[in-house]
Amino acid sequence: MKPEPLVPPVKVRDIAKPTPALSPLDLQKIVPLPPPYDQIDPQTLWKELTAERRQEIDASLDGVSALSLKRPEDPQEEERLLKGFVEGLRKLLSVENNWTFLQPLQLTLDHCTHCQTCADACPIFVMSGRNEIYRPTYRADVLRRLVARYGNGGNPIKSALTGPIELNWETLARLAELSYRCTLCRRCAQACPIGVDNGLVTHELRKLFSQELGIAATECHANGSMLQLRVGSSTGMTPAVVRDNIEFIDEEMSEKVGFTVKTPFDKVGADVLLLHNAGEILAWPENPGAFAVILEAAGISWTMSSDLVAYDAINYGLWYDDVQFARVALEHIKVAKKLKVKKIVIGECGHAHKALTVIADRLLLGEDNIPRESALTFLEGIVNSGVLKLDPSRNDFPVTLHDPCNIVRAMGIVEPQRRILRRIAPRFREMTPHGVENYCCGGGSGFAIMSPNNFANWRMLVSGRIKMQQILEAFKDELDPAIPKYLCTPCSNCKGQFRDLLRAYGAWERSRILYGGLVELVVNAMADVPPGFLEWEFH
Amino acid sequence: MLASGHVVVLQEGPMTVATIGCVVLLAGFVLGSLYKAVRYVRMPMHVRWELYPVAHEKGKVSYGGSYFEELDWWTKPRETSLVGEVKTIAEEVFTLKAVREHNPKLWLPSLLFHYGLYLLFLLGAALLLGGVADGLGVVGLGWLGGGKVLSLWGVVALGLATLGCCLLLLRRLGDPTLRNASSPADFLHLWWLLAVFALSWANWLVVDREYTVAAGFVKGLLRLQVGGSVPALFVAQVLLLGAFLAYLPWSHMTHMFAKYFTWHSVRWDDAPNIAGEAYREKALKLLMLPVSWSAPHIKGDGKKTWLDVVQERGES
Repeated sequence: MKPEPLVPPVKVRDIAKPTPALSPLDLQKIVPLPPPYDQIDPQTLWKELTAERRQEIDASLDGVSALSLKRPEDPQEEERLLKGFVEGLRKLLSVENNWTFLQPLQLTLDHCTHCQTCADACPIFVMSGRNEIYRPTYRADVLRRLVARYGNGGNPIKSALTGPIELNWETLARLAELSYRCTLCRRCAQACPIGVDNGLVTHELRKLFSQELGIAATECHANGSMLQLRVGSSTGMTPAVVRDNIEFIDEEMSEKVGFTVKTPFDKVGADVLLLHNAGEILAWPENPGAFAVILEAAGISWTMSSDLVAYDAINYGLWYDDVQFARVALEHIKVAKKLKVKKIVIGECGHAHKALTVIADRLLLGEDNIPRESALTFLEGIVNSGVLKLDPSRNDFPVTLHDPCNIVRAMGIVEPQRRILRRIAPRFREMTPHGVENYCCGGGSGFAIMSPNNFANWRMLVSGRIKMQQILEAFKDELDPAIPKYLCTPCSNCKGQFRDLLRAYGAWERSRILYGGLVELVVNAMADVPPGFLEWEFH
Repeated sequence: MLASGHVVVLQEGPMTVATIGCVVLLAGFVLGSLYKAVRYVRMPMHVRWELYPVAHEKGKVSYGGSYFEELDWWTKPRETSLVGEVKTIAEEVFTLKAVREHNPKLWLPSLLFHYGLYLLFLLGAALLLGGVADGLGVVGLGWLGGGKVLSLWGVVALGLATLGCCLLLLRRLGDPTLRNASSPADFLHLWWLLAVFALSWANWLVVDREYTVAAGFVKGLLRLQVGGSVPALFVAQVLLLGAFLAYLPWSHMTHMFAKYFTWHSVRWDDAPNIAGEAYREKALKLLMLPVSWSAPHIKGDGKKTWLDVVQERGES
């Protein structure tokens, strides 16, 4: 056999080279899945961009485009963008414009030793077959070099020590795209012996592009946080539509469980304001329905809000823009204050957990600092109170648990969901690794809602592949489609990713793997509810 | 012996190039390190960005849990453990745990290198303490068991550091991906240190096997004594090491103290903003800072504050 020709690895400075693709995805190198899924040819999940499309948009990083960036029309436009980027670097490193993350960012820029201890912690780098541009230090080093050469007037000595780099359109466009090839799972930061956070670099790069140049993923910005601030929800639902949909869900639930379920709206003085990711209402209505059933059965004083923004817990700003983040968080708090609730409970949505509970925490002053609690903790409290009669035999099928990064690694909520599962799911088994060492679903940081061009194909083949591997390993002795299996995933964005991932790999047809939230399993185990709450239908 | 003769000359003669150089370069090290540390300390409060496991979470650190697991967590006393933080840091410093778990190929070279540096640091500290004690007329270096013990200590320390440094350099040069991911500074640091170690070995072999020249030099340095000469090889070692130390604060090697910030002030900073905590004033001040981000949905003009922009809806 002829030895493979030695291809020199892509260098950091190559990002400026005007080539058609800096480092295209090599389908031959994609890490295989366990049998029988190893028979699925990655080529069948891949979509090459057409030559016409590549003329329209810049896909020169890896042949993939998340942002659909268009080349500047003339040199003046390019110059304006490059100047804007340099200006953005200055602002990123200034107290006035970036006090929110300045200290963590500066520490990260200053202290990477390039030991590559973080590399194998990154599922995207590993599953891509170790594509150099996905290495956690790659994008961070591009930023380090740009800061040394162009940041605050530039420093020639520092630049020489950091390494060469050129700022041109290729650098800018590829770096923008590269900031959307990391799910912000922060496993790399967890592995770093120094405490450097190359995941934070992704966040800060997205921020620079969004806050200075107005470059952001359409799904996160124009159709995400901007839409939410304008019409109330990124789903486009107005207050009237939300009420209608919830009413319909309540009717369905009442019919299924045999008692009246009524979701209260705008109830002043309720103990709990429940914030759902509005995507649940449209895509997985059984989730808000199950919440309503449990809260009704437990006799909790609660409410939802029909105020703009507040009926959608999402806060996409968390992933790319501090200003958008703060705007949405303040709206959530404003409504909680208006309703005079004792606490806000955040439904099964990982990024909404972290946004309102952790990141917004120090910005919420005085009366605005209304206590926020995870639905998982809250749910465990209800289960522990004994108010629900639970029959675990109703859940006598294999169950595994996905740990949403934002709830587990970023908030340390690890055990409540497990204690519930151990109680209601006799065939519960863990994935490996799990808990704070979990792997991202591959849809983190907004990826789950992003499918432009061939980005969804990349998500299935690269960012989600390790999770697919984990799921199959967790169920490895029971992959037979005659055995229904449940992937418990208490996060709306992760569910979006699993819907696409399981469908792409045909896991429902091949292995009867269904995904869903935790509350659905709880209701399925409620002895007072007729059996069969869970409908084994993939959607 | 050659060495002891020079010690006497050093103590009584005019200030040497080595002494001046050493004072200037050490001052550079101290001031540079202070500048960098103070810069981090003075940076404003950031939003929370913790990462679990958080080492001070009492009773939950083994699996990475947090106080958010408690129902109505804000009503309960928050239990933290300083021991947990110290234990985690100690484990990292003395066993390089993260490298061992995530980068086993680099662990042994790195461990040898770091232990060499720790022992060299202790040797330097012993010489310094010996100089201070001698100056006070308390006791000389005798408490260390004499020159032979120092000599052995030096050999072990230098041996570990040199071996570790060579192995790290070989890995960086020999592993194409590691070489590719390295910056020019990464190589500079290792080559520079290797040169310092080479001079240290030469000194040990030729000039100062029992560290008597070094002890005398340190003693003279503490008294800011002027005088005489020391062997050229020793001067070269002192200046090269001094220059390295003066450069260190401007490199990523400040991770030796920056870890306090990256771990304690960022990764483990999970203190909630509950009543009685001092975030209100800090946050109010920061929210009044002017914003100049230019994107259409912000239009920061350098006059609008954070408080202003976050209350707007913004244009698409």
